[in-house]
Amino acid sequence: MILAEKLTSMAYWSHFVSIALFALGLLGFLTRRNALIVLMSLELMLNAVNLLLVQIAMRTGTSEGIVLVVFVITVAAAEVAVGLGIILNLYRMKKTVDLGSFRNLSG
Amino acid sequence: MKEAVFTFFSLFTLLTAAGVVLSRNVIYSAFNLVLCFFGLATLYLLWGATFISMVQILIYAGAIVVLFVFVVMLLNFEKPNERKTRLPIILLSSAGVWTFALILLRVLSKSVGEIPVLETTARASVRTVSKLLFSQYLWPFEVLTVFLLALIVGIFVLARPEGEEVK
Repeated sequence: MILAEKLTSMAYWSHFVSIALFALGLLGFLTRRNALIVLMSLELMLNAVNLLLVQIAMRTGTSEGIVLVVFVITVAAAEVAVGLGIILNLYRMKKTVDLGSFRNLSG
Repeated sequence: MKEAVFTFFSLFTLLTAAGVVLSRNVIYSAFNLVLCFFGLATLYLLWGATFISMVQILIYAGAIVVLFVFVVMLLNFEKPNERKTRLPIILLSSAGVWTFALILLRVLSKSVGEIPVLETTARASVRTVSKLLFSQYLWPFEVLTVFLLALIVGIFVLARPEGEEVK
């Protein structure tokens, strides 16, 4: 496949979109120090993977990818619920959600 | 026409995702997250996955972001009390992330030509997905329901007020 054809193909761009979304989420996960934004970045990464799964499922004509996305969405909702509960408890303890201030385990 | 709509919503999703990661105020991040989820739902719709698109709006934009906004309001930030990340950490992690992304793009773009493009959208209809969910994937589905029940109990214990014992 020549490059010009590659760049105009929709499939290439949609792969690019999901990878860029994942990269953005990973960047936020690594650099932000607010626990809530870290959790949101985690959601972005999960959504990027969902997008790629949907694309490949629709292109290959298999429904298994769609079923997998349903499972991922359920687990993501659960993960957010637990994560926010933990963040609420952390906020009660230290009155901040800055991840740098939770150093009790590092001795 | 479809390509134009697709490009618009792809850029919209990426821009709002950047807004989530970059904005200083948490509430702006949460609102950008809603927009990002709506953009993703539109992308699913463009790919023909109508069921997933509706699920995305109901669960992500409807439930998860509401949870986030609730917690942001509950924590009541008056000033953004987040310390700035040090520059070397930002540079290092962005270098790592973009290397990773480039490798991934290279690997995936090799497989682009190999996957056949199908025009049918019947594969992702509610009927096919639910048939599969209740026959071949029945056991994972049931495990997931038990998992959700355990989750409800766990959240109840986790988020109770300080010092209050579970009766």
